[in-house]
Amino acid sequence: MTAAAVLVLYAAVATTAPRGPGGGAGRSRWAERAPRLAIAVWLAACASVVASTLLAAFAVAVPAPVVGHRLAEFFEVCAMLLSGWRAPSSPGAWAALSFAGLVVARVVWCGAAVLVEAGRERRRHKEMLDILGRHDGELGAVVLDHGEAVAYCVPGRRGRAVITTGALRSLAPEQVAAVLAHERAHLRGRHHLALAAAEALSRAFFRLPLFARARSEIARLVELLADDVAARGHSRAHIAAALVRLATGPAPASALGAGGETALIRVRRMLGPAHPLGRGERLAGLAALGALLAGPAAVVAVPGVSSFLAHHCHTISIF
Amino acid sequence: MRGLGDLESAIMERLWSYRRPASVRDVLEDLRREREIAYTTVMTVMDKLHTKGLLRRKAVGRAYVYETVASKEAYTAELMRSTLASGGNQAATLVHFLERLTPEESTALEAALKVYPPGGRA
Repeated sequence: MTAAAVLVLYAAVATTAPRGPGGGAGRSRWAERAPRLAIAVWLAACASVVASTLLAAFAVAVPAPVVGHRLAEFFEVCAMLLSGWRAPSSPGAWAALSFAGLVVARVVWCGAAVLVEAGRERRRHKEMLDILGRHDGELGAVVLDHGEAVAYCVPGRRGRAVITTGALRSLAPEQVAAVLAHERAHLRGRHHLALAAAEALSRAFFRLPLFARARSEIARLVELLADDVAARGHSRAHIAAALVRLATGPAPASALGAGGETALIRVRRMLGPAHPLGRGERLAGLAALGALLAGPAAVVAVPGVSSFLAHHCHTISIF
Repeated sequence: MRGLGDLESAIMERLWSYRRPASVRDVLEDLRREREIAYTTVMTVMDKLHTKGLLRRKAVGRAYVYETVASKEAYTAELMRSTLASGGNQAATLVHFLERLTPEESTALEAALKVYPPGGRA
């Protein structure tokens, strides 16, 4: 019961805290220096909260003494719960398990909805690209006749990078190559899957602060990550120049964003030299990742293990 | 699959260039100047384009004449509009460079870029 309370408290605080457990990966400098690790930490933070909720329900349904005392009985309870042949013993356990079932169902439902919607939109988009654009083999991208300077990618099967003639006109050839390398980094890195996961969780949990922030941060971090990947093969100055060129001038008529905060950070990052994390910082990040993922399970395991030990020590003391 | 997309594109290009309604026969004769193609293939693809809402048609005698619903520019503008407006659905299309720098920001950055001329080595 204590384990359940601890997990519920953790989930509640982590979900609603303005910074969340991924707060360390927020606007902090290290996240901008190691975007890939920061994306992993955000996703782990979300997974951790979901796992805590599920494990809390499990801890309520299966009392700790059962887990520790007789393993056979524990597995029997598990088998019983899984097969659903017999109803759980108490109304409390029943409620906890139905709640867990609802959480799982909602995550699966929202995940499927996000994938299906995105897949449909991408398919329609690619059909139109086939008709409206022309594939430029040399650039390795689809070129669209359009005055506004825009570059983007449509991921998924037969994923493609798209650039408008407006962008080709306003960028030097090296800058075009750098921008397209950025787009291909999105495609090759399957960044859309991280975004889809974040979107699904955010939708499943009613856009609670943690999930909403994870979503917006991951959207920002994949851009930084793609810049870094592009910078391996292209000069950082070209990437920076392309960023400034594309983010200057009138906004595309239908674009939403006004502020240039991310654009500014990206340009600054590209103008300065790379600052990869030191070994110590990287280890700390990985440790945080491990703690987020393994923590909830450890909390549940502790009462079980301690009662298991107590049982054995008791047995031993008899002899 | 790629081939069919190409054919759709070729047929739409033809119809956009005519600026008047055309029958399957008209389009077929035009296409045959470049490639071997069967009447039924062209008819099927044009029917599909009609189903997709890209072409409208009316019956003239025993055949249909087709015309484009909107110009290529209008379709492109609409595609860009929906892409950029769906900034919310980033799982579908990854659009970046949406943010605009303020004039002061971009002036400052242009100045910084002069220190690292794009033609130079980074």
